Amino acid sequence: MLVSDFLSDSAIRFPEKDFLVWRDRRITYGSMSRTADDLAAGLVDEGLVAGERVGLCMSNSPEYVLAYFGVMKAGAVVVPVSEQSTARGLAGILNNCQASMLFVDQVVLQTLPDVLSSTPSLRRVIVAAKGDIGEDGDEERIRELPPGSPAFRTLGQILTESKGKVAPCSAQEQDLAMICYTSGTTGSPKGVMLTHRNLVANAESIVKYLRLTSDDRMMVVLPFYYSYGNSLLTTHAKVGGTLDIGRNFIYPNMVLDLMLREGVTGFAGVPSTFAILLNRSAIRKYAFPMLRYLTQAGGAMSPRSAEELHRILPGTDIFIMYGQTEASARLTYLAPADFRRKAGSIGKPIPGVQITIRREDSTPCVPREVGEIVAEGDNVMKGYWGDVEGTSRVLRSDGLHTGDMAWMDEEGYIYIVGRQSEFIKSGGHRIGAKEIEEAILELPTVHEVAVVGEEDEILGESITAYVVAKERSGIDPHAIQRCCRDRLPVYMVPRKVVFMDELPKTISGKIRKNELRRVEG
Amino acid sequence: MEVEMSIRNFIVENFLFGNMDVPLGDEDSFLQKGLIDSTGILEVVSFIEEKFGIKVEDDDLLPENLDSIRRLADFVARKRGAAV
Repeated sequence: MLVSDFLSDSAIRFPEKDFLVWRDRRITYGSMSRTADDLAAGLVDEGLVAGERVGLCMSNSPEYVLAYFGVMKAGAVVVPVSEQSTARGLAGILNNCQASMLFVDQVVLQTLPDVLSSTPSLRRVIVAAKGDIGEDGDEERIRELPPGSPAFRTLGQILTESKGKVAPCSAQEQDLAMICYTSGTTGSPKGVMLTHRNLVANAESIVKYLRLTSDDRMMVVLPFYYSYGNSLLTTHAKVGGTLDIGRNFIYPNMVLDLMLREGVTGFAGVPSTFAILLNRSAIRKYAFPMLRYLTQAGGAMSPRSAEELHRILPGTDIFIMYGQTEASARLTYLAPADFRRKAGSIGKPIPGVQITIRREDSTPCVPREVGEIVAEGDNVMKGYWGDVEGTSRVLRSDGLHTGDMAWMDEEGYIYIVGRQSEFIKSGGHRIGAKEIEEAILELPTVHEVAVVGEEDEILGESITAYVVAKERSGIDPHAIQRCCRDRLPVYMVPRKVVFMDELPKTISGKIRKNELRRVEG
Repeated sequence: MEVEMSIRNFIVENFLFGNMDVPLGDEDSFLQKGLIDSTGILEVVSFIEEKFGIKVEDDDLLPENLDSIRRLADFVARKRGAAV
């Protein structure tokens, strides 16, 4: 089974059913699958060879999804890149994986000259216009393509020339389907190699525990280039569900309106998505009778936020999940039934995944002993592209070393305490930043917080909390420290509290703690 | 005009990093220009609340109120008018 088979199979079962809804366009499974076949044939005509890498530097749109499946149907490897990448970042990725073709949105075109001059492996750049697939084909026609090599083509041209053709796909399960570059919170981006088997196994497992069916409709606000966003695409394609693609999450009330209008059954977010929904949207004025479940990954949801969401959406299940790009997306989930009983936990391994908590010497920890999360399963990546040393550091004989520190209770529920590098060593204590962050988030006036250790002559490291308050009035550093003192041992109370307008984040929403350390360090 | 100028200065300072060369018309949509993301809009909200002494309600968080310098200025004027 290949990832692209999800689309082909659903097109046979549900040819007239909506796969994607984007603005006022609706794309059926049948139409998407046929067009992806045309595109695959067109790409082969353009000289694409199975196994070659193809960059997708596009925002969420039907054209992204078309390129995604078209490239895979041609037996090539999708390399998704954020459309907000700098020219340098994009060129770095394309060079690292030696991409031969690149899909871009029109909006990316202006930064391309800087990219092209430094990417000798690129033979073709394919420019997608919104409207290349669907009925409003002429809404944003491409007027002019930049001169120069590599040759530019438009997606529209390729589709016209290859209409009705089908390219034979030689890809096998164990072949690469994607290379996903990790966001680089720690060091330079690494290309995570995911095979069809990896992605199919993870999608099947997620479908099982979320009980997804063809009746499900997901509101997508996460970017598809992010492994969590990608999993929304693969799982819904598998079951024949529908994806409502939100343009972005700048105006959450518009997303809420769309959710209501379309009767979505699922919503997926990262911690900041839910922080914005809770603190800066009119969510309390809505009722979502169709909304079956919410999922959160990409960081922990504080028990206070989780409880608040539960109160606002009483009929909606909340799944707290944990994963890594290196695991195709997902490793564990906390079932809604355990939401209160195991508050603060990331739950248990998803079907098909085995997890052990291990000491530095690789021996297994006893219950409640903190160690590293090590995972095994068909979803675990093949390695980092062109990085044997980096691969051998994380892929060892006992499984994928996640770098995340956690403990497991007697029933097998896992509790994360922080990343290996996120431990603060203060006055001889080993302290997980996350625990302090959760305490501070219990203050209703706090929007977001990041706790880091900063050099201190006496303590080794002292604790600093960077806080984004919902409203600037009525909160001061003493209130934060008092809150911590009420909940934590004294050595865990931040020495310093810095208020900020926002926390520095990676494009995928992870907080850049290294940058915070530099601010004050 | 004063309100518009003050909003413009804030946007240029915080989202264009002081780059006056980037053309930004009063009617230009921040969204279409890709100028502001979801946390950025919260900064804009905090700024107008603080600067103009108004309270932005959750229901007000819509592009028709916030998505250009002109819309922001009109929104501030409406809010101030309502408060009098």
